[in-house]
Amino acid sequence: MSNLIFESVTKVFGEGSSKYVALENINFKAESGQLILVVGPSGSGKTTFLTIAGGLQTPTEGDVKINDSTIKSLSEKQQTKLRLEKIGFVLQSYNLVPFLTVEEQFKLVDKLKKQNLTEQKMHELLSDLGLLELLKKYPNQLSGGQKQRVAIARALYTDPDYILADEPTAALDTDRSMKVIELLRDLAHKRNKIIIVVTHDLRLKNTADKVYQIIDGKMQMIN
Amino acid sequence: MFLAIKEMLHEKLRYSLIVVLIFLVSYLLIILTGLATGLANLNKAAINEWDASSIVLNSDSEGRLQQSFLSQDEVASLPNNGTRISQYSTLVKSENGLKENTQLVGLDSKSFIFKKLKITSGSKNIRNNAGVVSDKFKSDGFKIGDHLLVANSSLRIKITGFTPRATLSALPVVYISPDTIQPLNKGVTNAVVFKNKLKNSKIPKGTNQLSISSFIKKLPGYSAQQLTFDFMIAFLYIIILIVISIFLYILTVQKLPNLGVLKAQGVSTQYLILSTLFQSFIISVIGVIIAIILGEITAITLPSEVPIVIDKSNIIVTGIGIIIMSLLGALIPIRQIAKVDPYKIIGG
Ligand SMILES: Nc1ncnc2c1ncn2[C@@H]1O[C@H](COP(=O)(O)OP(=O)(O)OP(=O)(O)O)[C@@H](O)[C@H]1O
Ligand SMILES: [Mg+2]
Repeated sequence: MSNLIFESVTKVFGEGSSKYVALENINFKAESGQLILVVGPSGSGKTTFLTIAGGLQTPTEGDVKINDSTIKSLSEKQQTKLRLEKIGFVLQSYNLVPFLTVEEQFKLVDKLKKQNLTEQKMHELLSDLGLLELLKKYPNQLSGGQKQRVAIARALYTDPDYILADEPTAALDTDRSMKVIELLRDLAHKRNKIIIVVTHDLRLKNTADKVYQIIDGKMQMIN
Repeated sequence: MFLAIKEMLHEKLRYSLIVVLIFLVSYLLIILTGLATGLANLNKAAINEWDASSIVLNSDSEGRLQQSFLSQDEVASLPNNGTRISQYSTLVKSENGLKENTQLVGLDSKSFIFKKLKITSGSKNIRNNAGVVSDKFKSDGFKIGDHLLVANSSLRIKITGFTPRATLSALPVVYISPDTIQPLNKGVTNAVVFKNKLKNSKIPKGTNQLSISSFIKKLPGYSAQQLTFDFMIAFLYIIILIVISIFLYILTVQKLPNLGVLKAQGVSTQYLILSTLFQSFIISVIGVIIAIILGEITAITLPSEVPIVIDKSNIIVTGIGIIIMSLLGALIPIRQIAKVDPYKIIGG
């Protein structure tokens, strides 16, 4: 069983008069088998929350624990390994390496880590995401939505325990968005993963197991 | 090095440009070092052939053979296993009008230097106004049996043999016997050359022992010439370092966002750094190899008057030098890669 815990996490940017509290005293817990949605207006702290959850930033106060070990107590090397093996990031932009074709984006992962999705599973995933025809294309030959779907596939390819996705459906139409969310929910439910999706797409609200809202750095569960 | 190779193949134009730059500078470096070596050889080749380790000159000569005159007493008090050298620069002509500026060198046919001399054709005989001459004479059209008429003198030297690599201060050498040179320089001994270094106690007052390497450095114009080349060569190394640094810096800055994301996705900084080093290594190796090939071709096609010598050591030193420079040039980009914070790029 994996879990992700925030213990009184506060994140403050800047100092003195330019001090800005991006996250305020957040307590949060996610367990395997859950699809969690984090919604909130622009600038409310969603990306900050997600990057702290993935260990890309350290909290100003409080602790973040993954599988009961505090992220900031891990060495840089261990954190890199954690991100490579346990976490799948889907970021708001620049997810893909511009000089690699879609296919090669996955090959790069193979170079770094063994035991990724089997060929058959990968084929299913690519076909679910409608990517099979795009394998030979470079990122600059893809639409925004296609890029986003490739980024999702890239994050899922390592078969991570945690998937942290920042607006993964922003560039997708309603049908595609629903499909992607269903795919993620299935993964959470059937494969026991923790999936946290940051979005301001309220259409997705009903698909999640839990929905949290962040407003001005404060988080509360709304569903 | 999947990432590195894929990137270079995808960005062919950019990386070819750097290769071309490295090639051009390396080519220039190879040609310059070739010229430096070639010119240095012209100055000292004959001395190298002597295979000696020290030379005794007059203390007031500043290491210059032409300005050094040893008295008979001084010569007599030196160990007698040295080779006494008399030197005289002059113009010689052949009977059919060929001309050559030359260094006449008088020495004993029993001396170790004369015994060392190699012969490419003819025989090694300097008796009775015969001379063993630099094979430069041969390439300029002189033949065995030709007579060299010495300017402003009635002396005629008969060519009996050609000897390779015999140039001194850029002039071809004519080895003759002490008797032959006697009327030209009044029998003065300019220096005595030794196979082994002498103990200081054996060196008479008024004379000075120099190692052969410092004697070479004091050849007229030699050091100035080599310094000029060294200066240009050093500058080229600096230029190549800066050019590579700038190129790699710009390339790296452009891809920082992607590098940040790769780090977020768990690609280690080490992998990204090795990737950049690998690219730097590959482009410099390709540039250097093309430069070496073209350098060799140039050396072959240039007229033989151009004293260019591209030898193995030149190529190895230049090749390694450039590869080191390009790896150093990757240091600034590496710093950037190490510093890039995935969050800074994502935090949109
Ligand atoms: N490095 C930083 N330094 C200072 N302030 C920052 C920094 N990063 C984020 N902030 C601020 O923290 C707040 C939260 O930022 P965050 O990126 O988490 O917002 P968000 O909810 O993801 O917004 P969006 O929906 O537009 O992506 C913003 O007001 C932002 O200006
Ligand atoms: Mg955001």
